[in-house]
Amino acid sequence: MSSPATELTTATELTTATELTTGVRPGTPLTAAVSANAALELHGLTKAFKCGRGGRVVTAVNNVSLRIERGEVLALVGESGSGKSTVARLVARLETPTSGSVSVGGQAVPRRLGSAGLRALRRRVQMIFQDPYASLNALNTVGYTLSRPIRIHKLAPGREVGAQVSALLDRVGLSPGALWAARRPNELSGGQRQRVVIARALAARPELILADEPTSALDVSIRLDIMNLLLDLKDQEGLSMLFITHDLAGARYMADRVAVMYAGSVVEIGPAQEVIGNPQMPYTQLLRRAAPKFGEGTETQGAGAQDAGELPLRGEVPDLSKLPTGCAFEPRCPHATAACKVALPPLYELSPGHLVRCVLFDPARPGAR
Amino acid sequence: MSAAASAPRPRLAALGRRPLDALGSLMRRSPKAAAGIVILLVLSLMAISAPLWTSYDPTSLAFKSMLTPSRLHPLGTTFVGQDILSQLLYGARFTMLIGLLTGLIATLIGTAVGISAAYFGGRFDEIVNGIINVVLVLPGFPLLIVAAALLENAGDWAIIIVISLTGWAWGARVLRAQAMTLRRRDFIDAAVSTGEGPGRIIFREMLPNLSGIIAANFFGTALYGVLSESGLKFIGVGDVTQPSWGSMLYWAAGHTALLKGAWWWVMAPGLCIALLGTSFALLNFAIDEIANPKAANAGRLRAARRGKGRVLASQSAAQTLTRPNMKIQPPNPAALLSVRHLTAGYQTPQGPVRAVRNVSLDVMPGEFLGLAGESGCGKSTLAFAATRLLAEPGEVFSGQSVLEGVDLLTLSESELRRRRWKDYSMVFQASMNVLNPVLRVREQLYDAMQAHGVTDKAKLDARARELFGLVGIRESYLDVYPHQLSGGMKQRVVIAIALALEPKLVVLDEPTTALDVVVQRQILEEIQAVRRRLGIGIVMITHDLSLLTEMSDRIAIMYAGEIVEEAPSSVLQSAPLHPYTRRLMTAFPPLGGERTRREGIPGRPPSLALDLTGCPFAERCDSVMPICSLQKPVLSDLSPGHRVACFLHASPEQLTLAKPEVNHVLASD
Amino acid sequence: MLYLLRKFALLLLTLFVAATINFFLPRLIPGDAVGAMMAKYQGNLSPQAADALRLAYGLGNEGSAFQEYLKYLVKLLHGDFGRSITQFPTPAADVIAAAAPWTIGLIGVCTLISFLIGSALGLYSAWKGNQRFASALPAIGLFLGALPYFWVGSLLVYVFSLWHNVFPLGGNLDPFIGDSFTPKWWSSMLRHAVLPACSIIITAVGGWLVTMRNNAVSVMGEDYLAFARAKGLSERRILSRYVLRNAMLPSLTGFGIALGFVVGGSILVEQVYSYPGLGYYLFSAVTSKDFPLMQAIFLIISAAVLIANFLVDILYTFLDPRVRTGLGA
Repeated sequence: MSSPATELTTATELTTATELTTGVRPGTPLTAAVSANAALELHGLTKAFKCGRGGRVVTAVNNVSLRIERGEVLALVGESGSGKSTVARLVARLETPTSGSVSVGGQAVPRRLGSAGLRALRRRVQMIFQDPYASLNALNTVGYTLSRPIRIHKLAPGREVGAQVSALLDRVGLSPGALWAARRPNELSGGQRQRVVIARALAARPELILADEPTSALDVSIRLDIMNLLLDLKDQEGLSMLFITHDLAGARYMADRVAVMYAGSVVEIGPAQEVIGNPQMPYTQLLRRAAPKFGEGTETQGAGAQDAGELPLRGEVPDLSKLPTGCAFEPRCPHATAACKVALPPLYELSPGHLVRCVLFDPARPGAR
Repeated sequence: MSAAASAPRPRLAALGRRPLDALGSLMRRSPKAAAGIVILLVLSLMAISAPLWTSYDPTSLAFKSMLTPSRLHPLGTTFVGQDILSQLLYGARFTMLIGLLTGLIATLIGTAVGISAAYFGGRFDEIVNGIINVVLVLPGFPLLIVAAALLENAGDWAIIIVISLTGWAWGARVLRAQAMTLRRRDFIDAAVSTGEGPGRIIFREMLPNLSGIIAANFFGTALYGVLSESGLKFIGVGDVTQPSWGSMLYWAAGHTALLKGAWWWVMAPGLCIALLGTSFALLNFAIDEIANPKAANAGRLRAARRGKGRVLASQSAAQTLTRPNMKIQPPNPAALLSVRHLTAGYQTPQGPVRAVRNVSLDVMPGEFLGLAGESGCGKSTLAFAATRLLAEPGEVFSGQSVLEGVDLLTLSESELRRRRWKDYSMVFQASMNVLNPVLRVREQLYDAMQAHGVTDKAKLDARARELFGLVGIRESYLDVYPHQLSGGMKQRVVIAIALALEPKLVVLDEPTTALDVVVQRQILEEIQAVRRRLGIGIVMITHDLSLLTEMSDRIAIMYAGEIVEEAPSSVLQSAPLHPYTRRLMTAFPPLGGERTRREGIPGRPPSLALDLTGCPFAERCDSVMPICSLQKPVLSDLSPGHRVACFLHASPEQLTLAKPEVNHVLASD
Repeated sequence: MLYLLRKFALLLLTLFVAATINFFLPRLIPGDAVGAMMAKYQGNLSPQAADALRLAYGLGNEGSAFQEYLKYLVKLLHGDFGRSITQFPTPAADVIAAAAPWTIGLIGVCTLISFLIGSALGLYSAWKGNQRFASALPAIGLFLGALPYFWVGSLLVYVFSLWHNVFPLGGNLDPFIGDSFTPKWWSSMLRHAVLPACSIIITAVGGWLVTMRNNAVSVMGEDYLAFARAKGLSERRILSRYVLRNAMLPSLTGFGIALGFVVGGSILVEQVYSYPGLGYYLFSAVTSKDFPLMQAIFLIISAAVLIANFLVDILYTFLDPRVRTGLGA
């Protein structure tokens, strides 16, 4: 049995993967892939951290290629340690990529950025953090926190900053804004804090929002409110969004498309309904099976979900400093074959826009799905 | 939220912002700090107003040698005929100045070095950290002596600089560590990602948050400065003709004051140094204690073992009779755990907070009971109060918690200890930290069993292996330390410990909240399998209703300290009755079906410090009726096992019972 | 092991830094400090001693400062610390060899005792936090820690030697005591050591007390303690296996830093009691401007503190499994 993965050089795999993940049909020239329409485009993004003095290298993000269209929400789903947050931090330049490229709004972001370049990037890309108790400085008023992006990026003359801050607060549902601006975070509930965090992200009038698990630190009763707020703002402001979550249901609620990450790689990507309703990669099936079944109509129990029923719930996320050469999920996978250990398989397209990184779907493989 | 939100309490972290406020709050919160400030003020006044107290020049040699204390010379005179009191008063100026200056300079250096190392990180931080460590372990004082002796002619400033240079490293070390934790905080990342530059991040975001530690460090190094200076002067290094407490001791020793019986000459300056040092040390300690909340929470847990949670039965019965129309229910003898009229909460300076309000609940043998609700609804307090694990300032105000016929809340301390873990055990929410980091996992499994009489090594070992098999961990993991385990493994170990003595009841407080979905599912399935096999009763607390509906036999929904609905899981899933339950059921997006917009629950739960006359949910309820804000609905049975506290489902009898009261209130309006 | 290797590297680095400071300090002092010193000795100094001094401080030597530095390091490695000026031509190493055992014995033992007493009291204070005595202990500790060592020494001398003649006024042994390590010698040695020891212990206890109390209080707030209680463990077991074991660790890491302070203070006590240890000679070197001896003593004190530190690090690896097995799974 010949493994197709070995036949692909890294370079060709990269381009194939890019074309495929961006939803461009195979055969379209690569130049078309760098379209001005993309809000965010990642090419072979990789981040390796050096850990401790032992020289251990942890590959947190491994050759990730993604594309978010303008006005689109892409959910990045995975467990802790899958690298999903690192992707956002790389895009926001809180970390510098080891290799690979990032383009925002069709413009490539250079690897080395001066302070002016950084500021320009940060006007266009804003981040929402997970824990609103940690992401607001308790000593600063809401007004100060929100005025900073406006002042840094000189978006309004000094005397209008206050009015802009109030308008921002009104927009995220904290009215009257002028009143909320005078408060400090300790006077706000978790949900109110997260609204302030969202307002801060909007203050710079960005094109792209990176929302890193914006609801998981919040109480169940307000999660939907925050998600609704994000969706509404996205529509009103014409934003694009990378929505990072570990919750499949939340991803399905928020996103147009879903990308599933495992051990630093994207292993499945496609339309939200399809990836979550009918997962194909054995890992996504495992996630699907682990998610609470509640509130789920029986009619959507597709073939994928049934498959997942057989999956053993064994093992844990692999050590990122000792990743296998092949598929990282292979040690836990019930369908593992010898081919899985050889190399990380490329993304195979199952249906338009639905891609899976798994040898089970290798068209050259006898009995492929 | 009301427009007039309470003014923020000045926190110590904000020392830099409102120094006077912070000082006042510091004094109120810590008697130690207050004492330190008072001593410091008295000594400062003494130094400043020296000319008011004495008309003598401290350096004048005008008097007779070695006079004993008298009205003219309250502390006598020195060997060369100087007035000791005037030396003491004027000496205070110099000694305190040295303390303040060395404290200032050393803190400045330490802060700058520590914060910049933490902010810039990488290679720079490694080098700086190396330097800090070297300076820290070099014995500072001997170095100081050598340097000061060499610098003899360079004057006081040289001494001040040298003391500061040997004393900055401790502050740098502490500040570096603190700034590193701060640097990792999201709000710094958030500031960076809005485009903020390093200057504002260091000075506006980081520095104010470190001001408490910086202040503590200042007093610490000032103490070092004072002691070093007096030590140097004592051995004659530096300008000993300059009156200071240290040089006074030098001359006293040089002229063998003690041998001549002039003990006051030695006593007075030494005591002054000790007082000044104590005030610095007190301030350092107090600020540090407040800036470091872990130390400030001293005694939080101390009460658990002291049986603060114990209530006298008579007292509890009396207190539950607060409402006349309420029937006292006796414990259910068939139940494994029968909680009756339990009211518990926390004592705060603003008065008691009743987080659990008159809750009655049964857990049948072998039953899986789920307890769900928003955070702050009192579900964890209920679990802790019922198992008598509520720690100070937590307190059980009244009620009973009967486990197999024994009220846990009235047990004696030793009886309670015997029953704990054997009859019931508990898996804590923060399981990441519930294992002792310095003991092997095996020992922590053993000690639970040893505390309850299992001492045979072979038996312990066999049982440990058995338990690990039960929760799906390889036996070889028995001999590792907690830090070698992943989060999921730790939680399994904790569950194994909880099962060690085959208790009849296990309370799980958010056992999987911090874990990933897959691991969470693995663990829950293991719990399910084990309890089926052993017939254990389980109470599981979580905010995740979707999980509970899958796992539980029965679910109780808590809101604002009360149980608002209780039903078999399948019933609750298909026909939730309370409006709160209904909203909770739709408060999270579904995994399947149509993608439609859903709404969360508007508003916030009421404060648990308030006493509510009506239904606690009335404010957020979309089916609210006039009666809801006037009277509290009673939890009543609608069908066997299904209880709801809501007027929508109240019996006519209940509503009529309520009517007169309603009319009365309306009439008086 | 990696941990200990790193600590050992730090030990060597710090020793090297101490030696380097020692070499460059006199050369960095603004003005001609050494020249002034030489001038002071003019006439009192034998020509050989003057030459030695000149050589030691690089006055009129041939080689460059760097060559001098290398020569100096080589000499140090051979145990040559230069010659004392006041006791010329006695090598500084000989003075140190005679004095060091007394200092190491006195300060070493006292540090250990005060560490044990202070930690025990600190643990008690945290454990019984609500009792009056226990809650007053930290304040007492802070007061004791703020006392100048030498002053406490003076007071004790006054009370127990001058006022009541209980203990000897100073020195380390009675004169004409005869052979070492005889019962008579031991009794004399111990009688002379009591007062200096007490002064050191009284002042050093405070710091350990406060440190241990803070550590224990924060350990008592940990989840694993609440869990241990819930397990129904006896209070004794909780205290020894849970609170003490964990609270001790930061005390030990702080030991090295605190040791420098304690030793710094203690050497002044030797001066008060004329106890012929390193501190006493350091003092007489300072008063007689015997810089080579002063510097040699500084080096040897540094070395002793660093070695003690390293011993504590070794102990630490036995107590903290996280260091022993390496962090992380």
